[in-house]
Amino acid sequence: MITAERKPFDKILGLVGESKKVLVAGCDTCVAVCLTGGEKEAEILASELRIEAGMNGRETEVEHTSAIRQCEWEYLDLISDKVDQADVVVSLACGIGIQSMAEKFATKLVVPGVDTNMLGMPLEHAVWLERCGACGECVLGETAGVCPVVRCSKSLMNGPCGGSHEGKCEVKTPEGEEIDCAWHLIWERLKAQGREDLMFVDRPPKNWSKGSSGGPRKMVRVEARPV
Amino acid sequence: MTAIRLQRCKLGEPDERGRRRPEPIPGAFFEIPCETVIFAVGQAIVGDFAQGLAGVGLEGDQVKTDDSTLATGRPGVFAGGDASPKGPLTAIEAIAAGRKGAASVHNYLRGEQLVSLWSNPLPEARPDDAEVKKVTRQERSPMPEHPGAERRRNWVEVREGYTEEQAIAEAKRCLQCAVCSECMECARICPPKALIHEERDSELDLEVGAVVLATGYDAYDPGSKGEYGYRRYPNVLSALEYERMLSASGPTIGEVKRPSDGAHPHNVAFIQCVGSRDQKHDYCSSVCCIYANKQAMLTTDHVPDCSPDVFLMDMRAQGKGFDLFYQRAVDRGVNFIRSRPSAIKEDPLTKDLLINWEDEQGVLHQNRYDMVVLSVGLEPARKGQEAAGRLGIALNRHGFCDLKEFDPLQSSREGVFVIGPFSEPKDIPDSVAQGSAAAARVMAQLADSRGTLTAEPVYPPERDVSDEEPRVGVFVCHCGSNIASVVDVKDVAEHAAKLPGVQCSTDTTYVCANDSLQLIREKIAEHDLNRVVVASCTPRTHEPIFQSTLREAGLNPFLFEMANIRDQDSWVHKKEPDKATAKARDLVRMSVARARLLAPLSKIDVPLTHSALVIGGGIAGMTAAGSLGDMGYEVHLVERASQLGGRVLQVGRTIRGNDPARILATLEQRLIDNPNIHIYLDSHLADFHGFVGNFSSVIEDKDGRRTPVDHGVIIVAIGAREERVDLYQLDRRPGVVTEMDLERMLKEHDPRVTEAGSVGFVLCAGSLEGDHPYCSRVCCQHGVKNAIELKERNPSRPVYVWFKEMRTFGLLEEYYTRARDLGVVFIRYANGNRPQVSSEGPLTISYHETALNRDVSLPLDLLVLAVPSVGAEGSVDLSKLLKVPLQRDSFFQEAHVKLRPVDCASEGIFICGAAHYPKSIDETISQAYAAAGRAAALLAKQVIKAGGVVAEVDQDRCAACLTCVRVCPYSVPVIDSEVKKARIEPATCQGCGVCVSECPVKAITLHHYTDAQILAKEEALFMEVS
Amino acid sequence: MADAAQPDFEPEIIVFACHYCAYAAADLAGVMRLDYPSSIRIIKLPCTGKLEVIHLLRAIEAGADGVYAAGCLEGECHYLKGNLWARQRVNHVKKLLTEMGLEPERVEMYNMSSAMGVRFAEVANEFTARIKELGPNPVKRKGVSPYAAAREAASEIALPEDTDTVADQPNRPLAPLATTKEG
Repeated sequence: MITAERKPFDKILGLVGESKKVLVAGCDTCVAVCLTGGEKEAEILASELRIEAGMNGRETEVEHTSAIRQCEWEYLDLISDKVDQADVVVSLACGIGIQSMAEKFATKLVVPGVDTNMLGMPLEHAVWLERCGACGECVLGETAGVCPVVRCSKSLMNGPCGGSHEGKCEVKTPEGEEIDCAWHLIWERLKAQGREDLMFVDRPPKNWSKGSSGGPRKMVRVEARPV
Repeated sequence: MTAIRLQRCKLGEPDERGRRRPEPIPGAFFEIPCETVIFAVGQAIVGDFAQGLAGVGLEGDQVKTDDSTLATGRPGVFAGGDASPKGPLTAIEAIAAGRKGAASVHNYLRGEQLVSLWSNPLPEARPDDAEVKKVTRQERSPMPEHPGAERRRNWVEVREGYTEEQAIAEAKRCLQCAVCSECMECARICPPKALIHEERDSELDLEVGAVVLATGYDAYDPGSKGEYGYRRYPNVLSALEYERMLSASGPTIGEVKRPSDGAHPHNVAFIQCVGSRDQKHDYCSSVCCIYANKQAMLTTDHVPDCSPDVFLMDMRAQGKGFDLFYQRAVDRGVNFIRSRPSAIKEDPLTKDLLINWEDEQGVLHQNRYDMVVLSVGLEPARKGQEAAGRLGIALNRHGFCDLKEFDPLQSSREGVFVIGPFSEPKDIPDSVAQGSAAAARVMAQLADSRGTLTAEPVYPPERDVSDEEPRVGVFVCHCGSNIASVVDVKDVAEHAAKLPGVQCSTDTTYVCANDSLQLIREKIAEHDLNRVVVASCTPRTHEPIFQSTLREAGLNPFLFEMANIRDQDSWVHKKEPDKATAKARDLVRMSVARARLLAPLSKIDVPLTHSALVIGGGIAGMTAAGSLGDMGYEVHLVERASQLGGRVLQVGRTIRGNDPARILATLEQRLIDNPNIHIYLDSHLADFHGFVGNFSSVIEDKDGRRTPVDHGVIIVAIGAREERVDLYQLDRRPGVVTEMDLERMLKEHDPRVTEAGSVGFVLCAGSLEGDHPYCSRVCCQHGVKNAIELKERNPSRPVYVWFKEMRTFGLLEEYYTRARDLGVVFIRYANGNRPQVSSEGPLTISYHETALNRDVSLPLDLLVLAVPSVGAEGSVDLSKLLKVPLQRDSFFQEAHVKLRPVDCASEGIFICGAAHYPKSIDETISQAYAAAGRAAALLAKQVIKAGGVVAEVDQDRCAACLTCVRVCPYSVPVIDSEVKKARIEPATCQGCGVCVSECPVKAITLHHYTDAQILAKEEALFMEVS
Repeated sequence: MADAAQPDFEPEIIVFACHYCAYAAADLAGVMRLDYPSSIRIIKLPCTGKLEVIHLLRAIEAGADGVYAAGCLEGECHYLKGNLWARQRVNHVKKLLTEMGLEPERVEMYNMSSAMGVRFAEVANEFTARIKELGPNPVKRKGVSPYAAAREAASEIALPEDTDTVADQPNRPLAPLATTKEG
């Protein structure tokens, strides 16, 4: 699901600025499940803001709330009273939710409290790994379920590069941890499935316009539109 | 008037009453001039009133009455005072008579027997000559009198009375023979009238189906060992006296003070085995090593620079966790000296004590101590022995109850069970377990009458408070002076009265006393209270009492909150009463804030399956299954091997000379004969689900056949096994075997044993060190047993036993004595100087002999190792399946070492036998009964109450993120497949709150500990109240 | 930042104690008649695993100068692992406090068994001394809490007019409580 990381506290303070009435709005779907922006975290951030204000002698009122899903109008209706009373809304939702809030409450200052970072899979409880790049043209059927777009550091389509060494990518994470070479994984899995031939298929360069590089995308389910 | 004429008299002969009457002397007249004569007249009753009253007779001038009841011959007519047979007496007697008579009238009018309260005289107390000789003779204080010259002019009393000093001095002359002077002040002052002086011994006839004797022990009186100077040297104490000294409620209020001068001692010695392991007591008292450890450690707490010395022979820390405790004492600086001092001498000037002792190298030392504590042993209670005599129960040669090894609770009289130290010196965990065991025996014996005499308490219907505003009643306790001497209780009550929501606020002396509980009920009714706050002691002990009171008043018991202003306030802030009072106000305020938010909670009745699953078919499992079967419950007994019996099958003879094969055979037959018991051989537990009262398991046999079984309880009895450590050439040389190997070899008459020329035993091979720092408890007795066996078979064969600590505790000590008498050589070694076994060539063992101070090599034909016991194979898997923890020593962890020794923390799961900790056969049998008893207490219920303080999911808010499912340590939450939301079964939820605090959308609430209630307390603390 | 240590400063400390170990140890300290500062106020929980980050933050907000959790010894939690969760959360709160510019030492996690009455008193002494050193909580609740709007009429305490300065107020006037869900 969509995962996000809370922004550093001082950044949030900077975004809140001199506002006297702050509303921290959580979202109880993706960001709650990744333990970053649910009601629980919203309450905690609100408390932190009050403490900080109290320490520095500012009279700031901070409330918190949470929408079931911030990207649905109906759920935003439920919290609109609280939004009206605030000078600034710190949204802990993913970028989608923040923007829905900003659109719905167009005259309100809506600021992000989190950095939406990836489409992640929970490897274990409280650990997420990036798995999908939302490229718009999924090749997982040919790559034995390993996404070469985000799991390969170079998003290669046709096998590993020269930097693949003993199954590990030459690039490390910012924290210095090793990552698997995606194409090595793909090869191992294809072998285990008896489909090695897929490794040697010539894949043309990806049509990146189907992904986020092609400008803002839109999807419509024609058959489900209300009549 | 000018004179009075008198005639002199002389005393005549005694009359029929023994009185000598005056007889006038003829002619002996004389006169005294005077102006006024005052006649002192006597009194007599006018007896004619009695003439019309049938039954009321006169005796001479007085009315005939019973001396103690004052009843005359006519019912309803009583007489006393001047009318009494003793004749006219003083006003005091008259008042006394009035009271006696009133009591009799009272009884008479109530139709009760006219029993005189004073008819049973108290036994006369006389001081004996020895005590009287100690008293310094003092004359009576002279009573000051008004001088006669002064008195002539007025009516002033002759005697002036004592001054305060004189009165006190005079009172001090009292010998206090009987201590009680029957002033009755104590009875008068006691509010609940608990002191009844007139109460006498009475005999009651009770009809019972079983008797359990728990008559305990007497501490050995060390005065019998004159050489230790007890009662002669003031600074020699017995361990019980020292225990009182260390206690905060003792005579020195917890300060360690030398009796001779009240100073803090800097050198303290403990002498072990006083009254145990000696000529008159050929047994070990089992508990003294550990209590001395405890006392030594407490000594270092109380007197920080003190490093106590403990003189001992063996450290008998064979209980679970006790070696760790011993190690803590060593780390704390307690010195353990292997030596048994024979005497203590006193330095008469300083009253210090001198101990001469010999170390293991034979060097003599003398140590000086400020104080010495004698660790006294346990003797069978004399009163218990008397009771045993009256009940016709046999005692063994040590004076404890004679019990059979394979039926260790049953005395020689059928239906009379014995538990605790009267059976054998025993510590608390074992005694508590024995209590449950006796309960099991009784439950089996009385199975037919189960439930016939019980009554369900009836409570009034619960009032629905959901629409009501919170109305709080506050009750602040004085606890006598425990709270009131530090905290201003009235102030706290007044403060509470002003808090929002409080309708009434009172203080009371003892809020847990019946009259206060009555007051609470009354106030609930009077003020329509729907929440109650009690500010007193700790909810850990007293919450149930008040919850019960609420129920009796028609309120849900969860509408109750306690503020701890005693254990956590008045007792710990004694020097700051103002602050303690402020804290008490705060705590009450916090409690009131929470109380307003408390909601009624109900427990649900969950039906249970009245059957049991027992895993493990060794002696523990068989005994437990048999016991439950005898009580009439269905039992499923699962055993991994192809026959029942477990490790006991390998034992040929016990240390007491009994053959376990017989008991196993009898037990097995009993199980087979009982149609309630189903036995599954070659089987194991493949699956396990559910919660207490409603478990479902799957038993799988070796062919893969699966049998589902529903049961209410489960007993784990999977035993233990030997760990074949790689020490002393075990499994590298054929002549080196383990104790269980030896058992088998003895049974099979293996020539390696029968023809062995010399045999060695190494006890503690791998124990009390390394990976097994704990004691395996049974190896010492096994070793001693087999050493005796081998020596008896061939007395000329050398038998050696190397040991670290000889733990033949309790009544096993006599076998250690026996072994030494037979010539078995016992050699102590320590971790730092282990014996060495040759790796090739002839089998020899080398060790350092301290008596000779040189290394010695001995040839052996057979070397037997006592290797550590560890949890049975499969205990790790079973622990995961049942979700009950194993401890670091690989045995199952009980819920509480003393109070719940056979329960697991998870309800409905019990443990017994070696799976709990290695133990001997008789201990196993006892513990198995205990587990059966505990299990039966559950099975005896019709329904189980579940719920209350449990977590609940608000499914509307649930995001199905799986967090609660993953974090719950008991795997309780599940995602309901129909609604796709998390669900928590109240009957299995343990109420820890981890899921509540992890839920990212705050969809879960822990009832009775909600966020709002917790935050209410935090905020109320900083609230200002005008 | 925190004020310099004031010699007359009487800290107000909240302690979250678990029912099975720490609360029992506190009772034992009472039975043993030990002495420790009267600055601590204990709130009982079934397990420290119930203690949430927000409870610790709200304690600071409300005016506590320090707050600590006391749970079972590690490996011996009655509910198996609750105390480990608590430690993790306490560490997280330390991080949050640092972010906000408060001393992370104002919050702490301690472990003890129910038999460790002496340790309970020791901890109370240690922590009180620590807080005295750090000085009073620089955060003071001023005036009306944001929850005032959701306040129930049941409360009779008038919302205070807050004009005092921080240093003058030993007991901050507090608006009554929000009630959520159950209450």
